[in-house]
Amino acid sequence: MLADILAPDLFASAIRMATPLALAAIGGTICERSGVVNIALEGMMLFGAFMGVIGAMFTGSAWFGVLTALVAGMSLALVHAFASVTLRTDQVVSGTAINILATGLTGFLMEVIFGHPGTTDSVARLRPVFSINGPTEGMLGTVWRWIDLVALSHTPLVYLAIILAIGGHWALFNTRWGLRLRALGEHPRAADTVGISVVRGRYSAVLTSGALAGLAGANLTLEQVGSFTEGMTNARGFIALAANIFGRWTPGGSYGASLLFGFADALQIKLQLFREVIRVPSQFFLMVPYVLTVIVLAGVVGRAVAPAAIGKPYVKG
Amino acid sequence: MRVESRFKQVLALLLVFALVAAMAVGCAQPDEPDEPDTDEVEVPTIDFRAAMVTDVGGLGDRTFNDGTYEGLLWAERELGIEIRALESNEIADYEPNIDQLAAAGFDVIFTVGFLMTDTTAAKAPEYPDIVFGGIDQFLEDPGPNEVGLLFKEHEAAYLAGVLAGLVTLDQDFDERVNDQNTIAFIGGMDIPPVERFEVGFIAGAKSVNPDVEILVLYAGSFDDQARGRELALSAIDQGADVVFGVAGLSGLGSITAAQERGALFIGVDVDQYLTVEGSGDVMLTSAIKRLDVAVFETIKSAVEGTFVGGQNRVFGLAEDGVGLAPFHDFDDAVTQEMRDAIEEARQGVLDGTVVVPETRDEL
Repeated sequence: MLADILAPDLFASAIRMATPLALAAIGGTICERSGVVNIALEGMMLFGAFMGVIGAMFTGSAWFGVLTALVAGMSLALVHAFASVTLRTDQVVSGTAINILATGLTGFLMEVIFGHPGTTDSVARLRPVFSINGPTEGMLGTVWRWIDLVALSHTPLVYLAIILAIGGHWALFNTRWGLRLRALGEHPRAADTVGISVVRGRYSAVLTSGALAGLAGANLTLEQVGSFTEGMTNARGFIALAANIFGRWTPGGSYGASLLFGFADALQIKLQLFREVIRVPSQFFLMVPYVLTVIVLAGVVGRAVAPAAIGKPYVKG
Repeated sequence: MRVESRFKQVLALLLVFALVAAMAVGCAQPDEPDEPDTDEVEVPTIDFRAAMVTDVGGLGDRTFNDGTYEGLLWAERELGIEIRALESNEIADYEPNIDQLAAAGFDVIFTVGFLMTDTTAAKAPEYPDIVFGGIDQFLEDPGPNEVGLLFKEHEAAYLAGVLAGLVTLDQDFDERVNDQNTIAFIGGMDIPPVERFEVGFIAGAKSVNPDVEILVLYAGSFDDQARGRELALSAIDQGADVVFGVAGLSGLGSITAAQERGALFIGVDVDQYLTVEGSGDVMLTSAIKRLDVAVFETIKSAVEGTFVGGQNRVFGLAEDGVGLAPFHDFDDAVTQEMRDAIEEARQGVLDGTVVVPETRDEL
């Protein structure tokens, strides 16, 4: 049975489910490293998911939809940046307002554009990047099935998330950009003294997080299901925020944490397939990801230290 | 100081915008679907108002809430009454929504879904002049203004199970049918009406195909399309070739999965061939609940003054309250044998020789 559970499709499913979390979590990392709290990831993801469908519907191109999702996420991020950097408001309040706004706005636009609530029409989806026919027989076939399902069966944004995790992680600790970003979040006054514009730096970080959260939304609508449902992000933005903290405010860690959440979810689905053997109520399975999360947070991860200046508006002079 | 007040202005503006947008959605009334009833005699409108409070799936779920709304539309057309639907975004919205409708002077209020059972019981005594119809709710000790409207989901699911059990054996039926003899059930939340669907489906499939393996998966919610897709992908990868989805909006994701992996799908509550555009290539049939009939009949009796409360009404095969939708694109593929088996099961249920289990314990 263990071999049936730990099958390649389990890992493929884990990677798929981790992707929207990871994209948003990496965005959250970049935003929070600059010293701005972003609990609006959920709203940006939702708005991106919706606008992605709209973009794809009006142009017939899923790729254009991805672009509109990205812009949609950034537009809400601009509101957040204006409120929290320029107006120096409480960043949690601004984030909450954006989350409420996104729920209302997507539902409202759905009525206006589609004339009914619930779900939008279906649009074209992004295809998997690779489509290679490998061996199907014998030992080689088994090995190929693993490679194909786990590594090669995915859609473009899944790979983009991995690239961003690795590239972003390296850049955060090895480039001038990364050093400046970290300085903004740790000691903005010091950064200011050496001539780094705190306002500009934070604006670009918040906008980047909006773009990534928008892409996370695009992954849901344009890669996974092909249409938008009201409230379809289902708190994934908040889980992404947790993944960012869990990953200790690093892109690599964010991806790893997202992968853990995705794996836990894939595992509970897989376990449900063996209800005949594991005779417990279905609610038990649905509990698995949360229990696993609590165990990992309590046992494996040590103290996570946030950027020192997080949540504090910077007043020049 | 100046910055502070500017912030407050901007924040107030933002919040107002958010609230207005949210309200516009909450109170929105969906357009009536296009209907060719232009030649019909204009029904005089009467001063009677009926409304529904949706569960968290909301209107546009293309199954449960929409099916109920069909009943309201029917009453609007035929009885000339005024109708309204209020959506609940979360469970905490149930009671305020009912209060709003009561304050607006509605005569009949439908509370839609098992999850609203306690709300109905709590609110109906507060408004004794309003008729409350609780859909999918077994009301303990209902008052004279309350009626529980229940369905024998297990009977419809039993017929769907018979079909699925036979289809998965017949590789000539369709190229998507494999030799694994495995089918799947995907539920939204594990609540009694969904359990009845599950249990009936299993019983039906086993009655014609004792060796069939039935994978049972629950999404944990009715509004997560992405998860509905993952569940179905996982079941199909495990060998399932017919998937029965009882998961509201989550089920739409399961339809997507069936289309991309090559499996057949059985819809739920309404004829999903008609409500989910472009699903014809996988939609074998749907296990339907005549929510519209239950809603329409309740309104009609209230309008005519013949309403009898204080009871739970159950709609089954015998009352034409549940059944199977047409096969549509699979009409040619469904063999006479399959039709006979379904008809035989139907007759069996009607004359009592087949007793369909309702709970897992009875299975």
